[in-house]
Amino acid sequence: MSAEGIPEKTVRIREDIRKMIIRGAGKIARAGAQALAEAAKEYTGDNLKDFLNYMERVAQYVTSARPTAVSLPNAVSYVMIRLRRSTPASVEEAKEVVINAAESFITYSKEAVDRIGKLGAKRIENGDVLMTHCHSTAAVSVMVHAFNQGKISKVYVKETRPKLQGLITAKALSDAGLDVVLIPDSSVRYFMKRVNKVVVGADTIAANGAVINKIGTSLVALAAKEARVRVYVAAETYKFSPRTVIGELVPIEERDPREIVNEEWIKRNPQVRIYNPVFDVTPPEYIDAIITEKGIIPPQAAILILMEDYGMSIQEIMTKDIEELQDDELRE
Amino acid sequence: MGMKNCDEVFSNISVTSHALRQGKILGSTEAGFAVLKDIEEASKSCPEKFPRFLLEAVPSYLKARPTSVVMKNLLREYLDVFLRVASREGLKDAIAQTPQHVESIIENVENIKDAVATLGSKRINDGDIILTHSYSSTIIKLLQKALDRGLKFSVIITESRPIGEGKYAAEVISRLGVDTTLIVDSAVRFVMKRVNRVFVSADAVAANGAVINKAGTSAIALAAKEARVRTYVTAGTYRIGLETVFGELIEGVVLSDASLIMPEDKAKELSGRILVKAPLFDVTPPEYIDAIITEKGVLAPQAIPLIIKEIYGWPPRLRPPEELLEEVRKYVS
Repeated sequence: MSAEGIPEKTVRIREDIRKMIIRGAGKIARAGAQALAEAAKEYTGDNLKDFLNYMERVAQYVTSARPTAVSLPNAVSYVMIRLRRSTPASVEEAKEVVINAAESFITYSKEAVDRIGKLGAKRIENGDVLMTHCHSTAAVSVMVHAFNQGKISKVYVKETRPKLQGLITAKALSDAGLDVVLIPDSSVRYFMKRVNKVVVGADTIAANGAVINKIGTSLVALAAKEARVRVYVAAETYKFSPRTVIGELVPIEERDPREIVNEEWIKRNPQVRIYNPVFDVTPPEYIDAIITEKGIIPPQAAILILMEDYGMSIQEIMTKDIEELQDDELRE
Repeated sequence: MGMKNCDEVFSNISVTSHALRQGKILGSTEAGFAVLKDIEEASKSCPEKFPRFLLEAVPSYLKARPTSVVMKNLLREYLDVFLRVASREGLKDAIAQTPQHVESIIENVENIKDAVATLGSKRINDGDIILTHSYSSTIIKLLQKALDRGLKFSVIITESRPIGEGKYAAEVISRLGVDTTLIVDSAVRFVMKRVNRVFVSADAVAANGAVINKAGTSAIALAAKEARVRTYVTAGTYRIGLETVFGELIEGVVLSDASLIMPEDKAKELSGRILVKAPLFDVTPPEYIDAIITEKGVLAPQAIPLIIKEIYGWPPRLRPPEELLEEVRKYVS
């Protein structure tokens, strides 16, 4: 996408997102909102219609930095929906709408993790033993809040191959004072009997409440279901994917085989295929509740979050899709 | 390898025991063979203290790998023969014949494995995608036999942490000429939709048909059940935990070595609040297993007592290794 006429600050933020210098759903989302605010601040014209068109173009430009990162389009639409629905009389007024919306999103998203922790901790009972997978700041927030309330003292943390993000979680929890039992992923069913509740994060949540998260999450949820252990997913609302409302699938990225075996092993065994999917999909029926900063919902109510909070109606998404299609066709 | 002296033979007990405990000798049959080989070596290099060696070595091996029903069964078989020959023909002959008895036990197990592999290979269909876990020489043989019959199939194999022997299995299976894919243990449910059959081996089978195998097996069987994929377990009858008929539990080994999970440097800076627990084995309940493939036939797991009855009578007439060792004690001067 062309960066022509888009201010440098915005371009720089977009590049940082694209090159994954800015990582993590929350940080990407806040950077996206910031990029829109910067673009509004730097605008110099005084024709309102031009400004609105300009902002639409900036929105598309920012979103295209990482098309699969769900929090980015959500942050952008959070701001843009407020602009589209406003009735500014001047460019100045319109700028203010953008800047205020971006700021409110940023503050809101920063507070979200803490709110999730507070809400989620209510679901944890005295003496519970928890299990978690991978690393999620929202899930850690729930566990640390529950610990600070004296409800829990021990968490089973899965190593989370191939990248061992379980170590980050283990450190965060032990720094907060919790006892951690670090276990290999293969022993998930072995230890499930000793666990009362599972708390995990999410990368993306689909419109039907299916949770896309680090590979292995769905196996944890299955083992929990078998053992009648409750599964809670802690996730900020900007992780809900509007595009799944219109039937789009969430693509599961496949990563470098060298995360699993080293270069030398690959050279020695060129005929072995290494399959390294990053995420898997946990069906909504294996999830007891999704803990968002707006409240605790059954996974099947995911659509509510999408329509209420991100102003996404099916019509709007469809229309945008058709517009994009036509743009593509015109270009050809 | 030259002849060892008695000191070396005795100090080898702790070396083998350590290797068993740490999962360095991983396969249950390999574990059984390793201790039989030690016994054979001792009978040759240190015949004068051989009964004493048995009294020291056998309990040490059994303690190092309490899950290894195979080791227990093979040791029982050996001690049985040893004591029979010793009482009939004298201690000297029993020691002299030990290499021959050990070889015959090993040969018998190899024959059983071959029969199991043959039966199991018949359960593979052309075009199957097979999922397997850990490293098992019986499973490798089974795949080879299916290939020999001209079947085409592919194999998905897990890393099989904490030891990670699935990587080695991937090397071996791919060299058979099978299309082989390696995945992390966590990806099992993700790929299960595409899998037609699960084949795993058993370290031990309990009297109720529950299967004790490398950690991760039970989660695989669960994911297979969910996806309506059939799970087959290969297990010669020498893997049946006969004592479980009398209520004995088969104990598992849980390692707590941080370096099993993370690189050494990270393990060192681990906070005291973080404990590593890595079980080597887990138990798969019989209801998740479609069939256990033994040399006597392909059975429902619930039919295991039938096999026990056929071989050992019902209730099985068994002498625990401890009782056999008591008898060995008579020969210590």
